[in-house]
Amino acid sequence: MSFIHPLALLGLAAAAIPALLHLLQRRIPPEFDFPPVRYLSAAERESARRLKLRHLLLLILRTALIVAIVLAAARPLVPLRGGGAHQPTAAVFVLDNSPSSGAIVDGGLVLDRLRVVARASLGRTTPADRVWLMLCDGVLRGGTREALLATIDSTRPGWLRLDLVQAVERAARIVNAQPLVGHEVHVLSDLQRTALVSGHADVPAGVRVLALAPGRGAPNRGIATVTVSEGAAVVELSGSLLGSGGTPQPVPVTIRIGAGRRDRGEVTARGLATAGSGRAGGAIRSAVTVSLPAQSLAPGWWLGEAALEPDELRADDQRPFAWRVAPPARVMATPGAGSFVAAALAVLQEGRRVVEGREVVISGGELPTTPHAILQPPADPALVGQANRALASRGVPWRWGQLGTPGALASAELPVLNGVPVVRRYRIEGAASGEQGGGDVPATVNGEPWLVRSAGIVLLGSRLDTTWTALPAAPGFVPFVDALVNRIVMGEAEVAAAEGAPRVEFRTRGTDTIGATVFGPDPRESDLTPATIALVTTALGGKDRTAVLGADRFAAEGFSGTRRADASGILLLLALLLAAAELGVATRTR
Amino acid sequence: MAQRLDLLDPAEVARLGGIEIVAEGVVEGYLAGLHRSPFRGFSVEFTEHRAYQAGDELKYLDWRILGRSDRLFVKQFEEETNLRSMILVDASRSMAWQGAPERLTKRAYADRLAAALALILLRQRDATGLVTFDDQVRQVIPARVKTGQWTRIVRGLLDTPDGQGTAADAALQRLTALLARRGMVVLISDLLFDRELALAALRYLRHRGHQVVVFHLMDPAEVELSGPPEVRFKDPESAVSVVVRPRELARAYADTVRREIAAWRKACRRHGIAYHHVQTDMPFGLALRLLT
Repeated sequence: MSFIHPLALLGLAAAAIPALLHLLQRRIPPEFDFPPVRYLSAAERESARRLKLRHLLLLILRTALIVAIVLAAARPLVPLRGGGAHQPTAAVFVLDNSPSSGAIVDGGLVLDRLRVVARASLGRTTPADRVWLMLCDGVLRGGTREALLATIDSTRPGWLRLDLVQAVERAARIVNAQPLVGHEVHVLSDLQRTALVSGHADVPAGVRVLALAPGRGAPNRGIATVTVSEGAAVVELSGSLLGSGGTPQPVPVTIRIGAGRRDRGEVTARGLATAGSGRAGGAIRSAVTVSLPAQSLAPGWWLGEAALEPDELRADDQRPFAWRVAPPARVMATPGAGSFVAAALAVLQEGRRVVEGREVVISGGELPTTPHAILQPPADPALVGQANRALASRGVPWRWGQLGTPGALASAELPVLNGVPVVRRYRIEGAASGEQGGGDVPATVNGEPWLVRSAGIVLLGSRLDTTWTALPAAPGFVPFVDALVNRIVMGEAEVAAAEGAPRVEFRTRGTDTIGATVFGPDPRESDLTPATIALVTTALGGKDRTAVLGADRFAAEGFSGTRRADASGILLLLALLLAAAELGVATRTR
Repeated sequence: MAQRLDLLDPAEVARLGGIEIVAEGVVEGYLAGLHRSPFRGFSVEFTEHRAYQAGDELKYLDWRILGRSDRLFVKQFEEETNLRSMILVDASRSMAWQGAPERLTKRAYADRLAAALALILLRQRDATGLVTFDDQVRQVIPARVKTGQWTRIVRGLLDTPDGQGTAADAALQRLTALLARRGMVVLISDLLFDRELALAALRYLRHRGHQVVVFHLMDPAEVELSGPPEVRFKDPESAVSVVVRPRELARAYADTVRREIAAWRKACRRHGIAYHHVQTDMPFGLALRLLT
């Protein structure tokens, strides 16, 4: 129970007035002769109990009367259950229309279930409330109840993931800042487990969070990412195996490329993916690599689409991708580059992956003047210093340092290098401080840079010779040289991923297309595993502030924390009754 | 319209003059309204014979029976005089109380009522006497019918100051010794004494053949309790006091007074005693009429 005017409670001290008057106003009464005192004494003896009871009753009634009046002045607010108008409340309705809300569960759209509850809950608001609606885009939409109801009706499953923890925390802060009596956040979401793992929402005291209990989960597979590299498309899958008995089944994946390009035709490839070793808690982490007919693809930007067979959630069954097929690099190798490089270039020329030219020069330590150069360390250690000075004069922030320890190559960008042993190498250091210089490091040995890139210059820590490394003798050497001259030194067209409706947008500079952004749903949306009640409670504010309710109780519990009535009227009525009772008791015995 | 003093407010009548004037005025009015005398005396009349006993006066010996049967009988007669009445006036301190200044004290009312009653009786040639008492007998005027008796009675009333406590039983017991011959005893008192003891004395009088009449005087303020919100009431005779809130206790007090009056009435009726409750605002004529 709270009070609108709590300071008025100080008046409760006045409740002691009747007792104090009784004690303090014991003045000496006037004295009169009255012969029939014996009658008085008899009457008093007979009425003693009744008079004591009357005095006690009057004292209680008068004290209660003062208490009732003081409490009424303090305007107490009594919590109510069930019907009745609630106090003005600031409320945010978080309607999670993220892609997962488009899943079909138990024959119905998840979003429809959420929408029904949201409508019922929003329908209980009054004009005195301040209400906002938050969808998966995180934008708070204010307005009248009717406007928000119309927005709810028109809401469709979106393409953005909603981080419920952040959303609830933000909503709680906003409602808490409102100078209203009640503060509530209504969470209408399928409560995916993945939406609640980012920590705990900091919900201020006084804010109630009501979350609709999650429904049944469903098994689902979705395409998380599609990357094209070295003539193959790597399709990573996401989702969950709930309800499928936990047994991973092969998933057919269809790749379509060139769709819509009349001049190039459509290429379709298929592959099977199964659950990988990284599976945990029913979540799927698997990938399939589908070879692309890279040799037959003309240079330029290519669009493709990976697709799964339809399941409960259609939004993640298809995902576009884009990549650029570059024209063959014009390459020349200096005599110092070594025989292995020359042999590899010959193979690539034969396969029309490179042509002879001076666009890219592969040297044995000397720095050419071409814009793109691939530099091996000089075979003669005495020339390392000269080579470093040349690099410095070109503004390259790297230099060769002391000899490093042998080790194995590691590269995420060039998988063919992984595990190839290196027996001799120079440490590649930053030119200024001996630390790492600018640019990026596509490959390392023992955690130290082995292959670095800066502008159009690529430095290798070892010569491409079998006395330095086993790479020239490895099967991946030719693909490595191919990637080196066509991709690493020339620079790749950047393909970024972003959340949104599935599509590809190209970035241009002048007339050149310099990159692309592939939009699609967040892969975490594919995991339809619902969170446990405990996780929801913990993540969205804790047991004291968060209630997870079924659909049948959600609307009834909404605003119940603020459904309080001003009890001053009742107290005034009680005071009137007490006054009447006091009057009755006081006069009836007179 | 003619004003009859016996029907006026006692306090207004008292303002007309002393006890004699008031009593005479009241009696005049009272008798004018009567159709017959309320009291009857006794004629000289033979009642019975009884056997002669040693010491009997020889003049009452019935010579005829002696002559016929040779046995000794004496004749007995009823009282030769009119009614012998004794008026007992309570002069205790409690009687000197009045509930309001515009009313007579109980004692003043009793004096005037006694004077009027004595005048009526004396006019009927009934021997009338007076006894005043508080905790002891203060004045005793034997019953006579001779001229000046009423004046003596009035003087006896005037000469009796307000007394102390009341010991009616003692006074009544002493009175029994004074009233050797049967007659009428009128007790005018507020009866604020022990009922059982007083009743025992009255019963004894009754047993001796007296006609006993009790006037229970009360001030109206003694019947209905009133006063300030809280007050200490003190008994003027015993100095016993109680602190009460009259408004709270009024109903219970009224009930107690009613019960007390009823108890007196019931006890008196049981023993053949006439009981009359009189408030001091009752006109004297109405109080006297209670005797008819």
